[in-house]
Amino acid sequence: MSATKAAPALSEPDGAGQAKAEIFLEVAGLVKQFPGTRALDRVDLTIRRGEIHALLGENGAGKSTLIRQICGASQPTEGRILIEGAEVSLPSPQAAAALGIAVVHQHFNLVPQLSVCENLLLSESLPRRAGLFVDWREAYRRARTLLTRVDLDLDPRIEVRRLRPDEAAMVAVAKAIATNAKLIVLDEPTTALLPAEVSVLFAHMRRLAGKGHAFLYVSHRLAEVFEIADRVTVLRDGRNAGAWTRQEMSRRAIIEAIVGARKSWDEDAGPAPAALGEVVLRAEALRGGRVAEMSFELRKHEILGVAGLPGSGAEEALDLLYGRYPKAGGRLSVGGADVDFRSPRDAKAAGLALAPKDRHAESLLPGASVRENISLPNLGQYVADPVIRFIRRRTERRDAERIAKSLSVKMSSIEAPIDSLSGGNQQKAVLGRWLASGAKIFMLNSPTAAVDIGAKAEIYALIRRIAADGGAVIFTSAEVEEFPRVCRRVLVFRDGRIVGELVGKDASEANILNLAAGAGDEN
Amino acid sequence: MRTSAKATAAVASSRTDFALWFARYGTLVSLVALLVVFSIARPDVFPTVDNLLNIMNQISILGTMAFGLTVCLVMGLFDLSIAAMATLGGYVATFLLVQYPDAIGVPEAVFISLAIAAAIGVVNGLIVSYLGISAFIATLATGSIITGAMLGISDSKTIITGIPDAFMAIGQGAILGVSNPILIMLAVGLALWLLLEHTQVGRHLYAIGGSAEASRLSGLAVKRYAPFALAICAACAGLGGLMAAAVLGAGRPQGVGDGYLLNAFAAVFIGASSLRPGKFHILGTLIGVLLIGVINNGLSIMGVPTYWQYIVQGVLLVAALFSAGVLTMRRH
Repeated sequence: MSATKAAPALSEPDGAGQAKAEIFLEVAGLVKQFPGTRALDRVDLTIRRGEIHALLGENGAGKSTLIRQICGASQPTEGRILIEGAEVSLPSPQAAAALGIAVVHQHFNLVPQLSVCENLLLSESLPRRAGLFVDWREAYRRARTLLTRVDLDLDPRIEVRRLRPDEAAMVAVAKAIATNAKLIVLDEPTTALLPAEVSVLFAHMRRLAGKGHAFLYVSHRLAEVFEIADRVTVLRDGRNAGAWTRQEMSRRAIIEAIVGARKSWDEDAGPAPAALGEVVLRAEALRGGRVAEMSFELRKHEILGVAGLPGSGAEEALDLLYGRYPKAGGRLSVGGADVDFRSPRDAKAAGLALAPKDRHAESLLPGASVRENISLPNLGQYVADPVIRFIRRRTERRDAERIAKSLSVKMSSIEAPIDSLSGGNQQKAVLGRWLASGAKIFMLNSPTAAVDIGAKAEIYALIRRIAADGGAVIFTSAEVEEFPRVCRRVLVFRDGRIVGELVGKDASEANILNLAAGAGDEN
Repeated sequence: MRTSAKATAAVASSRTDFALWFARYGTLVSLVALLVVFSIARPDVFPTVDNLLNIMNQISILGTMAFGLTVCLVMGLFDLSIAAMATLGGYVATFLLVQYPDAIGVPEAVFISLAIAAAIGVVNGLIVSYLGISAFIATLATGSIITGAMLGISDSKTIITGIPDAFMAIGQGAILGVSNPILIMLAVGLALWLLLEHTQVGRHLYAIGGSAEASRLSGLAVKRYAPFALAICAACAGLGGLMAAAVLGAGRPQGVGDGYLLNAFAAVFIGASSLRPGKFHILGTLIGVLLIGVINNGLSIMGVPTYWQYIVQGVLLVAALFSAGVLTMRRH
């Protein structure tokens, strides 16, 4: 096993070893209780000076809740937080910052329209002349000092939106250091970065760690963790699931800790899968947007999973198939005929349906009734005459009621505003919209996002029913654990390409994660 | 978690039920209350058939323009060119009738001037849909261009002589005691009510106004609707100006629509706080227009100075938007 193999060059610093022994932050028995759920259950975490510490776990494992407690955005229910051995309370982010803790969020909390200098000095007041006018020479001098501290050679007058993502990330780090942060929390900083930019960021991190700054680094990308982390802590279901030093790390142990012992999903209701039918959709070397290339076939009755880390092209594949942006090349055929979708309108006409990821921004009509939300794509079915195109309201209402009833959408009436429904019922209405349209190929992006557990099972059952009734489904989700539960075949994306196909028992969460994380020469 | 949310909602509901009810029926109640107050104050003058028809007549131009504006606000598009468009409608019709008295009759003049207004509305919509410029800015620009063009064509001269009686009858005639402007306003209102409430196009306009992205992903040809909605709005504004010219018996090249711009927006927004809070709709707009008409008529009958009309209207608009906002805030 090659736990050390991922980072042969940098199992360095004995010189920094002494500094590392010194504990900066200690979290002991931290509990965070929300109504109905315990988001953190007696979590321990120790971060030493000058250490790069990776925090891993699935969505919902408690990573962000833990970070929120550490940076003062929220207060723990029980447990202690110690900084340099002394117990502290962190009632606000300002209090945490005063004790040397800074957070760099995924999107770097920078104002794109402002200059690097203005961003760096945003949290302090700009130097002034005569108490009134900004002393820009002094401000730029101070900004340059901060940039030098992170070895960044940038003109502080440049606007942040003109920076490369890795430069923006480093400006955010410089801003964190401006407040004399001793612990910098990086929340998925590499999501927007290209591989070359990631290595630049990592080089900076190592150098700053050498100077004694500690990092708590949250990421989904295992390969990166092996490259950069001195230690790893894994959370699962709000509890500690394991911790390793660099010497002890093994890919398999970490994945097992993240995934845990999964119970079987056989309890999900829904019809047994039917034998697969003919090919209904075929992509050949199709590319466009983040999808560099994909080729696959989808058959009638099939539920095909498309998995990958954020930005890998998995979610974008669904958008590309649905004509949300134009294809750059390759072929797509639906029902045996070549198609070239210029807009979602064309895709819908060919029998495709898309349930997009962000229900509120992309699929619901806010303020409109359940009926209006269900019949949105299907009004053409109720047109009474070809010229004025009057809508047969009664037929429309009857159909919407039938669909809502068959999906057991819980609502006070079909005329109730869609906003008054729970997330799960809203999502059922969105799926019902497409069932009513007679679509044959359903593309579902995270259909169970922000849906409670009971409704999740109903949606899984509905997906199976769609497939059993003669449809075909392409499914993707940010929660990897859903794939084995929903799909029998999973395509795994990495860097815009399909890097593997997992079928049946092999389509396990661990295998999907392994392929998606990449650099997986260990099995 | 959800049960506790329900419990708190139940506790709060007695308080918010009234807010809800008020948001829905507040403007209607205000309208009825004003009618009662003015009737008691001036029983001899206000509550007469003549005066009520007079009020309807006074709001007919505003109403016609506000109905058109409702259609584009349903889609979320602000049309600021309606003032200039009204000037254009009246001036072009009289200009054609006076310049080509032999070739162009009244029906042709009406058709051509409204067609020109609609065509400019289509251009507004194309700018919005295909150049990605906000309707607010695009219509501000085209409004300015129209104003300039009218002044140039007219040499700033008002057309007074040579306007045929048949044209003036549009503004001054009546059928069975009901003036033509009232009938025109009601016809436009009915047509646009049918369009918005009962046709596929109307439903799509509401859908796009609610969520353009959800509509696009549902297969609607989203970009085609802005030219359509802005053309309807422009034609209605042109018709309003044409009615004003017929009432006055004059084709003014400037300033005809200016007084209507703000009032039309006020009426439509008051309407969006009535019956279906947060939604623009024709019936609501009618209530808004009536409210403005009743206030202006009642105050002037009671001898209140004109400046009070502006102040009362302003207060009313804020109150209406606030009561609608109460409901919108609750939703999120």
